[in-house]
Amino acid sequence: MNWIILANARKRKARLVMTVGGIAIGVATLFALLSLSAGIERALDREISGMGANILLLPEGCPYELTLALMQGSDAFEHIPTALLPDIRAVENVDVSVPVVVGKARVNGQLTSIYGTTQVLLELRQWGIDRIEGAVIGSDVAEKLGVGEGDTLTIRLYAEVQLPITRVLPPTRGRDDTFVFLALDTAQQILGLDEKLSAVLIRTSSVGATTQAQYTLGRMSDIQAVPPSDVFARLMELFASIKQTLILITGIAIVAGVLTTMNTMTMAVYERKKEIGILRALGSTRRNVFRLFVHESLLLSLLGGLVGLAAGFVATQFLPRTSGFGLEATPQFSFLYVVICLTVAVIVGVTSSLYPAMAAARTQPIKTLREL
Amino acid sequence: MKIELNNVSKAYGQGDARFWALREATFTASSGDFVSIVGPSGSGKSTMLHILGCLDQPSEGTVCVDDQDTTSLNDAQLSRIRRDHIGFVFQQYFLNASMTVLQNVLLPMDLAGVKEGRKKAAVALDVVGLSHRLRSFPAELSGGEQQRCAIARALANRPSLLLADEPTGSLDSKSGRAVLEMMISLNAERDLGLVIVTHDEAVASTAHVTLNVLDGRIS
Repeated sequence: MNWIILANARKRKARLVMTVGGIAIGVATLFALLSLSAGIERALDREISGMGANILLLPEGCPYELTLALMQGSDAFEHIPTALLPDIRAVENVDVSVPVVVGKARVNGQLTSIYGTTQVLLELRQWGIDRIEGAVIGSDVAEKLGVGEGDTLTIRLYAEVQLPITRVLPPTRGRDDTFVFLALDTAQQILGLDEKLSAVLIRTSSVGATTQAQYTLGRMSDIQAVPPSDVFARLMELFASIKQTLILITGIAIVAGVLTTMNTMTMAVYERKKEIGILRALGSTRRNVFRLFVHESLLLSLLGGLVGLAAGFVATQFLPRTSGFGLEATPQFSFLYVVICLTVAVIVGVTSSLYPAMAAARTQPIKTLREL
Repeated sequence: MKIELNNVSKAYGQGDARFWALREATFTASSGDFVSIVGPSGSGKSTMLHILGCLDQPSEGTVCVDDQDTTSLNDAQLSRIRRDHIGFVFQQYFLNASMTVLQNVLLPMDLAGVKEGRKKAAVALDVVGLSHRLRSFPAELSGGEQQRCAIARALANRPSLLLADEPTGSLDSKSGRAVLEMMISLNAERDLGLVIVTHDEAVASTAHVTLNVLDGRIS
């Protein structure tokens, strides 16, 4: 049967290209959407778990916006007073507490995120260094500014400071690559946030003690204690609603693809009336003709699915890496997505071929031959 | 194999517009016979051939293939009879333009699930003298070659009966004669039943039996 389909396709190349192209566009969109979504989810997970904290202490306000601002290195309107730090450290089971201030400043003339903290941060990050001295910079910053270890950075906003670069961090593929890390008080001075903190990262003495510590910290005035896992779950819910909308739009595009393919196949039935009439005269049953058209559509849709997967893969390589919550998200590919996309392609192919195949099977050989 | 038409009539249209294309035709064609059907255009020759080949069903009367009444058979059963026992040759050849000569002959074999179809199709094309044109497309062939290809296709599943509807009608006299001689020799050598609808008196004169059809009736 395949050679009959191939012979027909060879004669009608334009139709083949249009049918395969229509299915491929839908599949490519779906594949790109699935892999990019997975990439964003993974990036979000990596960033939040990469904080190394069990609890995030944030100023009052929307915890999700504040967490995103912290991850993106943007200054927020609300802050935690530095004076609260002794009380925070006094809470039972608080093992490590890292004060953090973030914001954007001019670094060698370019707007860059700065991250002020203390040496305690090194207990949460696995960077392989003992001290944060001068400026420790992420690999993206080094590339963007064209600087390296031993060079001097001029950082300016509310104050101007010159710091030597003591270390360029190896690439982490996370937000750390985009920060200039420096001493807390220096960052506060530059950002004009004296005695103010963007957040405090807390690690408890044990995972079991987190709930109790969160409860105690949450009762302190002007701050809120949020487990990163809760933030992650909430952000994922927000992202899921966006993803659902995108999938719905893709679904509509796929339905449009079904109708277009159905229209193309129906036209093909009329165009191939002679061929069908001959097939029937030669002894082809209605079932044979029906199966031929469904089989043809199935092969075309599978081909469209494969082309779509390739096109989707290529598209993800050209799309901007920074997307979704301002995180650098590398698309994540999975065999499951390949299966989903090919299944969708097959469903599109079979669904769109049913009506044309039935029309073809109803062809009366004698009527067709008389009309020729 | 034997096909019998018993008092077969065929009407088209309904009510006042009802038109009888064939009236009370009784006729038998068997393997080895050579029958020509002659008559003016619109006399019912082709209708009779189509009913004989199970392409069409009669409005009245019965059609029996090896004593089995085909009027009670469903579409799939009639298709199988066409596929396995009857070969058709049409005036306009009706070759599939997107297939090569070999593939056109292979088509009915593929439908019948014949093994080593390509080899057998090549043999059928050798019989009609087209072994050098296997990979050509119909548009690259002359009219005579296309009709010979159509004959090879009709013979692909080794039918008992070959039904030809004005097979030389689109050919020049030389090609027409060659095609006719080929069918006559197949009739003689293979015990193949041959029923030809024709306008050509010369063709009709070579048949064992000639049926004259006029206004739907065999005279």
